[in-house]
Formats: sequence, structure tokens, C-alpha cells
Amino acid sequence: MNRNYNNKSIKAKKRKTINIKRRDKSRNKSDAKSKFSIGKRLTPVRKKLKFFSMRSGLDMPFFFINMILLVVGLIMLFSASYPNAYYYKQGDSYYFIRSQLIWATIGVVAMIAISYFDYHHLHKFAIPILLISFALLILVLFMPAINGVHRWIQLGPLGFQPSEITKFAIVLSFSHFISINFKRMGTFKHGILPYGIILAITAFLLYLEPHISCLIIIVLLSGGMLYIGGVKLRWFGLVLAIALAAVGYVVLFTDKLGYANGRVQGWLDPFTSNPNVDTWQTKQGLYAIGSGGLLGLGLGQSRQKYLYIPEPQNDFIFAVVCEELGFIGALMILILFAMLIWRGIIISMRAKDKFGALLGIGLTAQVGLQAILNIFVVTNTIPNTGISLPFFSYGGTSLVMLLAQMGIVLSISRTSKLEKT
Amino acid sequence: MARGTTIRMWRRSLFVLVALIVIGFGVIIFRLAKLQLVQGETLQQMATEQQLKDTKINAQRGTIYDCNMKPLAQSATVWTVVLESAYLKNDEVREKVADGLSGILDMDKNEILEKAKKKSFYTIVKRKVESDIKDKIIAFQKENKLSTGIRLVEDYKRYYPYGDFASCVIGFTGTDSQGLSGLESYYNEYLTGQAGRLVTARNAIGTDMPFDYEKMVPAQNGNSLILCIDEVIQHFLEKGLEEGIANNKVMNRAGAIMMDVNTGAILGMAVKGGYDLNNPFEIADKAVKDQIDALPKEERSKAKARALEAQWRNKIVNDTYMPGSVYKQVTTAMAFEENLINENSNFNCGGSYVPFNGARAIKCHKHGGHGSQIFERAFCNSCNPAFIQIGQLIGPERFYKYYHAFGFTEKTGIDLPGEANGIFFSKDGSMGPMDLAVASFGQNFSITPLQMVTAAAAIANGGHLVQPHIVKKIVDSDGNIVKSFDRIEKRQVISEQTSKRICKLLMQNAIDGGAKNGYVPGYRIGGKTGTSQKIGNSGPGGMDYIASFCGIAPADNPQVVLLIYYDTPKGPSYYGAAVAAPTFAKVMQDALPYLGIERKYTDEEVAKLDIQVPFFVGSSVAQAKNQAISLQLNPVVYGSGDTVVSQIPGVSTKMPRGGTIVLYTDMDSASKKAVVPQFVGLTLSEANKEASAAGLNITIKGASLSNSGVVCVKQSIAAGTQVSPGTVVTISFSQKKAEQTD
Repeated sequence: MNRNYNNKSIKAKKRKTINIKRRDKSRNKSDAKSKFSIGKRLTPVRKKLKFFSMRSGLDMPFFFINMILLVVGLIMLFSASYPNAYYYKQGDSYYFIRSQLIWATIGVVAMIAISYFDYHHLHKFAIPILLISFALLILVLFMPAINGVHRWIQLGPLGFQPSEITKFAIVLSFSHFISINFKRMGTFKHGILPYGIILAITAFLLYLEPHISCLIIIVLLSGGMLYIGGVKLRWFGLVLAIALAAVGYVVLFTDKLGYANGRVQGWLDPFTSNPNVDTWQTKQGLYAIGSGGLLGLGLGQSRQKYLYIPEPQNDFIFAVVCEELGFIGALMILILFAMLIWRGIIISMRAKDKFGALLGIGLTAQVGLQAILNIFVVTNTIPNTGISLPFFSYGGTSLVMLLAQMGIVLSISRTSKLEKT
Repeated sequence: MARGTTIRMWRRSLFVLVALIVIGFGVIIFRLAKLQLVQGETLQQMATEQQLKDTKINAQRGTIYDCNMKPLAQSATVWTVVLESAYLKNDEVREKVADGLSGILDMDKNEILEKAKKKSFYTIVKRKVESDIKDKIIAFQKENKLSTGIRLVEDYKRYYPYGDFASCVIGFTGTDSQGLSGLESYYNEYLTGQAGRLVTARNAIGTDMPFDYEKMVPAQNGNSLILCIDEVIQHFLEKGLEEGIANNKVMNRAGAIMMDVNTGAILGMAVKGGYDLNNPFEIADKAVKDQIDALPKEERSKAKARALEAQWRNKIVNDTYMPGSVYKQVTTAMAFEENLINENSNFNCGGSYVPFNGARAIKCHKHGGHGSQIFERAFCNSCNPAFIQIGQLIGPERFYKYYHAFGFTEKTGIDLPGEANGIFFSKDGSMGPMDLAVASFGQNFSITPLQMVTAAAAIANGGHLVQPHIVKKIVDSDGNIVKSFDRIEKRQVISEQTSKRICKLLMQNAIDGGAKNGYVPGYRIGGKTGTSQKIGNSGPGGMDYIASFCGIAPADNPQVVLLIYYDTPKGPSYYGAAVAAPTFAKVMQDALPYLGIERKYTDEEVAKLDIQVPFFVGSSVAQAKNQAISLQLNPVVYGSGDTVVSQIPGVSTKMPRGGTIVLYTDMDSASKKAVVPQFVGLTLSEANKEASAAGLNITIKGASLSNSGVVCVKQSIAAGTQVSPGTVVTISFSQKKAEQTD
């Protein structure tokens, strides 16, 4: 397979004309035959596989939604981060935004580059990436703990969270396995067991870090993918029943989630006067959101970002957004996220094969889930846990990672049956 | 993708999409609407509360000045150390702060550490820290680069530059600068001022935010009081009392009050056994303190509270006493005003008097009786039987009418807290014949010393009862007058005529009556002594007394009234004439020249006045002799030269007229010596004789110059000492004990 792709790439020079010619052909063909099975893809479609693929062009709406979110995110990051940078980085107000801008540039370049990359090559990487993610998750356990958790691997000036890679690895490997075993997803052996094993290992390693918020995202994400992949509903029923039983047991027979648990207590009553419950961040976030009101205090006018919200450039950036832009502004950003999810999933649903569909849906849903859970935390809808807001929160490697993943979705969009604008 | 086996995938993908958007974003929008639109205002308010630092700006408490703008009480800047513990980043910083502050403030480290661990923006560590300690804290902050966490809030502390001076009048303030006693309490509202506020936007580490949030409501400093009290007069009073207390072993404090008879302005009010205003919660009396410290622990705090309460009391205003014979001037005023008697009415004193049949006899202080006497003498003799008879002439109704009119039944209205009510025999003013008998000479009813002074002022000033007041003016911090207090006349009690007649009597009493120890030459003093029994009190040493003296000056045009009183003197005498009158004379002697009251000497006095010795050295003998004679000095020349080379007494020495001035014409004769004779025990004329015989000069101090019955009690140079001829010996005279009158 490898060889084949490489040979084809030599023809890159003629790419443009061929593409134009083939656009109609490919559409016809994909209409005629389902491309969801890998077997089918391997034979007649082989010709089209080449390293760079323009196909029918990328999906402009999705691209622009990404870019708008990125720009808005950068503006808000600048606003939210500059007091912190000013006070804690020797008066350098641009400390965070400078770094984020550099990474955003790298990210956008990567996104566009990856959009040219034929995502089918990712089949080959599915298992290696999964293994690498496991290795990194083990490696991270030996890294020095920050705030009592092992989440970061530091490579010189660069730091990254292996859990970011884990999320991608899970989406990719699940897409890979589901797409090649699509017809057998109804069986336990092919539909449940391999995923169960992968999830169990991942969950165990994340539990050791610990990184429960990432675990929750991965469970929801893989659940969704398995659901789409065709796992029988009774399995979900079973898992749900077991989960409920487990939660019930924990609530009734242990006090891990009871009111004695500070996290739960802080969630139920963020303004508690109990000194043993640290609700500072949540409380400050709520102050910020509330201060925004309908129209907000105006861009740059947040007061809560003045060191009241700890690290307003990270997980709680949305609180600053709400304070500055108000309910209306927050709604706009929510709509942007909703459009991103909608467009991403539509692209994926119309992908030319099941691998692309699953991969696209997985990656889009990951962004959507993360955004939703982040805002759930900031609005104290769920107990406080560390989830960053895609496009907004500070973090170079994760931004590049995000944009790269969006690049994959764009790559899928190139072969997707969409009304291209 | 579209068909066949993948329809399910389509469906499920759509379901995931819809679920994500509807559930996820639906919940978010619901939450945001609730937080921003429903609870928005509440949350914003809570946020604002923490973002806006509302700093109280303490108002400076007004100053209390004496009438010459000398500050008696003033506020100086001190600092409150506040911990903004929420800004302390970690335990290491907290530890450092606790360590540093405990050292600087001399406090327990753990106590501060406890406060540092609280997540608060305002925890008071220590109040009223002086500026030098504040500087140390600032240095500590700089040293450790602590820009936030410790805050110093400006506050004020009350200082009383004169310590225990006028303590019971001025009063003191508590920890929050609220007046707790005296003027500080009475005028607290004026003195306090209005605290201001500084509202600024702050970030979470307490430095300013770049917003235009700053709103300043400046503090309004308190108004200042300008008193009628003159620090100098007050000083005379305090000094006089101090001496009197020491000389007479006064057990239960003493008081003195000087008032302007015409306006009611209090020129000085002293209560001794006071306390240090800068330290009001310390027991000032060492004996009492030791006594309390010796008590078992449980009783100590109670005893201490009692002792503090006692030392804070302004005896003149808060306590009552029986005025005793001082009150006789009031009785006299009643009788004169009602035309019942005159100066020449005759009274007989047989040593005791039975006011009515079956009553017990009331003794006169002179057991042998004063015999037949005109009223003027009866007044000067302070004869009780005479006054009982006068009281009977007045009758209970009129007695109470005047008693009421002189203001004894009401508060004087002085601007001091806790003025006491007097106690009369009955509430409705009725009195039995025995009551009337003793009341006529001031016994068995209680009034405050202030009431007595006010009545005495009314008698002196032509009959006008004026309201006593301490504060002359209240001015704001810019010096504008907020309020000024002028003379308030309540009513006219007696006629001008009566007033004049009593003043004359009082002066006569000071010249040759019971009050002569209070006489000050040249100042036409009028006065009345009083020795009153204390109510229902006979201590182990027998009956306890209050010795008092109330007098006016100058009697021909009264300006000031002064009451001196000692509670429970246990010294050689308890009589007002012996205990209180000398203090009165001493205070008046100092105060009247200070007040600028003109001296007027009688001829007799002029003869006895000292003159200042002029400079004779260098003059010719004849010239010097003439000059000396013209000054009524008696020159004695030693030596054979023509020019005076030395003189004794020296230039400017005060010496009596008729004294000897020794002029030397050569140095050899200067070695001549004279021996100081024994003056003590001699009368004035005897002393004069002795002095001129020895070739010495005497100058006279103390009691009346104008009459007999006084003997020398002290001489400045001991008998037998060899001195140069002409040296001035100061000798002090006092009345013989046997002749002391009530």
C-alpha cells in the first residue's frame, strides 16, 4: 500500500488538471458504490490515492468557522491574559499572546498543509499512534508532578500533555478499527472487546496521572463513536446500568462523591463559607459571568481578569469572555462552536468512506465536547475539573494539535460530497 | 454515504450531532441566561464588593484648646496594621510575614500566622502603632519585596500634652477614639468629625486597576473646642491643691473651681487625685494600686474597676457635699433680700442654741459663745446660733424659695457629663424646724460644689444666676466658629443692693473674720470658710469633714469666684480656715495678677508693702542716704569712704518699708557679720523690733498683714546663722491655731 501511494505522488505535477477532470468522475463513482468498506476502497479508488490531494477543494464554511474561532479566541486570549502577564511576567503584557500567536501561525500552516494530506494514509498510523500514546501515558507518570498530577511532558521549552495525543489516538484507532470491522460491529468479539481493552488501558493510565476530565471526554467520545459505528444499543444499556450502579454505590456507600467531598460541595454551593472547600476559581468565574450581564462590560474591560480569576488565560477564559462580551457575545461564540460542530459532522457524514466519516465525526465531536464541558465547568453546571476551551485557552502545542485535527477534517472535506462554495 | 447498511450510521451521526448541539448548547444557554440575566446583578454586586476597596479614612478628632489656644488634648497620626492575607501567596510568605511582624510589633508569632492563613482582605493585627514602628514595617516590606499583604491604615491617637492636667474635666477617649469621659465625652459628637471613604478598584493582589473607579469622600475632621479654662489658672489650681493635699493629709481627693462671676465661664476646674489622661486605665494612686495588687485574683478586677471609676469622677460635678458655713452667705442673702436683718442687727451667742422647745441644743464652734454681737461680727465669726435664728426668721417656705432660686434644686447645666442632683430634705421643699435650723448654716442637705460656686457667683455679680460653662467656642478644622457660648443668665435671684452688701461682708470676713487666711493684700478678697461634716460618715478616726473656702475677688467689683475644697483632711487641722484658705490665698495671689486685676492697697497695707532696693553702688554717701530716706528706708553707713562700694541688700531685693539698708564705703567693713535671731513664735511687731536690732531686714509672707493674732511660723534663715548685715530674712505668718474659726 505504501509503495502505491508513493508512486502515485510522482504524478503531482499533473494534479490540477486531473483533479478537475476527476471531480465529476469521483462523484459519480462514489454515488454508485459505497466507499465505507476498506476492501472496496483498496481496489478501484487506489488511483486517486496520492500524498497531496486537492480533490474537490476544501470546505470553505468549515475553514472559515475555524479561522473566525481562532481569531476571536486569540483576541479574547490577549484580553484575558494581559493582566496576568503584566503582573506575573515582569510587566510583559504580551507574554501569552505572543507565544499563542506564533503557535497559531504554525497551527494554521499545519492545518492547511494537513488538509492537502490524504487522510487515508492515517490507517497506517492508527496502531502506531495508539501505542505511542500508551507509551507517553506511561512516560508521563515519571515526569515531575505539577500541582500533584503528572500531566505534562517537558521537552526543553516545549511542554505538551500526552493526553492530547491520547484523545487523537483513540479517535483515530477507533475510526480505523470500526471502519475495517464495520460489518461485524454487532458482535462482542469485534464490536466491543478490542475497544473495551483499549479503553481499559487508557482509562487506567489516565487514572494514574490522574486526569479524570480527559478520561470523561475519552469515554464520551469513544462511546459516541461506537454508537455511530453500530454497536448494539443493549451494550450501551448495559454499560449505562453498570455505570449507574457504580455511581450509586459510590454515593451511597462511600463518601467520595458525598457532600463531604469538597469538590461536590463547592459545586453545589460555590459561595460556601466553609474554609475547607476551595471554590475560589468557580466563585470568581461566576462573578465574572454575572458581571457581564446582557451586553458585557466591553472588550478589554473585564475586572475579574485582574488576578481574581486564577489563570484567566486557561480553563476559565470563557468567564472573561462572558464578562466582556455579555450574554449576547457569549451566545455568538456558542453559535460559532455549534456551527463548527454542525459543519464538521455534516462534512464527515458525507465523507466518501466510513473511515473518513468516523474520523471526522470523532475529531469534531472532540472539539465540541471539550468546548461544552469547559463551559459547563465555567458556569458551574458540573463540578470543577480541568478542561481547556478549544481555540481560546492558552497552550501552544494543544492549539497546534487542534488546528492539525481540524486540518484532517478539512482533508476529509475535500473528498466529501458537499456543495462547495 | 447514503444507503444500505449505512443508513443506521447516518441516523446515529445525526443523533450525535443533534444531541451535542441541543443538549450541550441548550444547557449552556440556559445556564448563561440564568447567571447573566437573572443573577447578573447580584453576582456583579458581589464582584464589585471584592474589586472595590472601600477604605475608611479616619477623621482627625478635634483639638481641645485652653482659652489661649494651648492644646490640652490633640490627635496625632498613628497606624493600624492590617493583614490582607488573601494576597499572601504561599505558606512561605505567610511564615515570613508572621515572623517579621511579630518581631516588629512584639506580638505572638502564631497569632499572626493564624491571621495570615485566613483568606481575607482585612484582618487587623495591631492598632495605634506609632510612626516609627510603621517605618520599620515599611522597611520590612521593602526588604522582602512584599508589595501587598500588609496594609497600614492611618488612624489617630489622642495625646494629652499635660498628662494628668485637668484630667477630670478633659476626659479621655477609647480605642475607637470615642470620648469616654469629661469634655471628650460631652462634646464627642463635635470632636469626632466624619470619617471619609476612599473607594478604589483593586485587582486581586491589591494594587490598583487601570479603571476610573477612584471615588473619594474626604474625611471631615472634627471640630475643636476652645475652653474658657486658662492653662495658667488651671496650673495654679492644681499646684495649690497638690500642696494642700500633701500638707493636710487629704484622704479623699480635693477640688478647686474658679469661675468668672459675670459670665459663668469656668477659668479653671481641678480635681486632684486625678489620673494620667494618656493612661486612663492605670490607677494613678500608687497606694490604691498596691492595695489592689495585693487582693486575691478574683477580686482584683472588680476592685480595679471601682478604683478607676473613682479616679475618673469629677468630684466637683459628679459628687455632692454639704456646703457647711460657706452656705451662710446664701442664708444672709435671703435675710437681706427679705429685709429681715441688717449688718447691725444684734445676735446673742451663748455657745449653743436650742432652736425650739424640746430640740437638742446645737453647739457653736466656739464653745464659750460669741456673746452679744452685731450681725457683721456674727458673719465674721461664722456663728451658728446667730444663723439658726436668721433661718427661723426666714422660715422654711422662703428658705426653699431662695434655695430653689439659687439653683440648688436643678442642674447647673454645665457642659460636662453626669452632673449630680443635690439632695434636699424633701422633694416638695418642705422642711421641719430642725431641718431649717441646720440648713441655715449649710448642713444636712447636699449640693454639688459647682452649684455652690454658681450661687456664690450670683451673690457676687449683682444677683444674676448664670449658667456655668467650660467651652467658649467650637471651631471647625478651618477655624470657623461653629458655635460659641456666651453668658446665659437664668434669672436674677437677689437685688444688686443685697449683692453689694454681702460682698462687703465677705471682704470684712477676709480682713478680720474667719476667712483672713484667704486674704491677699491689695486684692480686696472676700470669702467664707466652711467645715462641713460628711453625711453619715464617721470613720475610725472620728468624724470626717470637708474643709472648704469660697471667695471672690475683688470684693468691690467681683470678677472671679474660687472654691477650694478638701475631702477628709486628716492633717493637723480639718477646718476650712486652716486647710482650704491658705490654698485659696496662694492661688489668688498668683491668679489675680495674671488675670490683670488691679491692686488697690489700703493705707495700712501700703505702709507694710515691700519696696525694691535701688542701686546705690557708685553714688556718693550723701546722695545714697537721701535716696534711701526718700524711699522710707533706714540707711546705715559702714566705713569712712565717700562713695558707696557695696550694699546689702543687693539691688532689686524686696524689703519692707522702714527696713535697714547697709551701705559700705570700703571693703574692710564688708566683713562685719550679724546673727539671725529667732523669729518663729513672734508677732509681726516683735519680729520687726528684733530685725532692726540685729541690723537685718525681714520680708513677710502668708497671712493677713492687717491684723493681730498672727505669729511667725517659719523663717527662711535659721536662727543663729551669721550673715551680712542688712540681709533679708523671709518670715511666714499664720493664724494661731487656737483662734481658728469655722
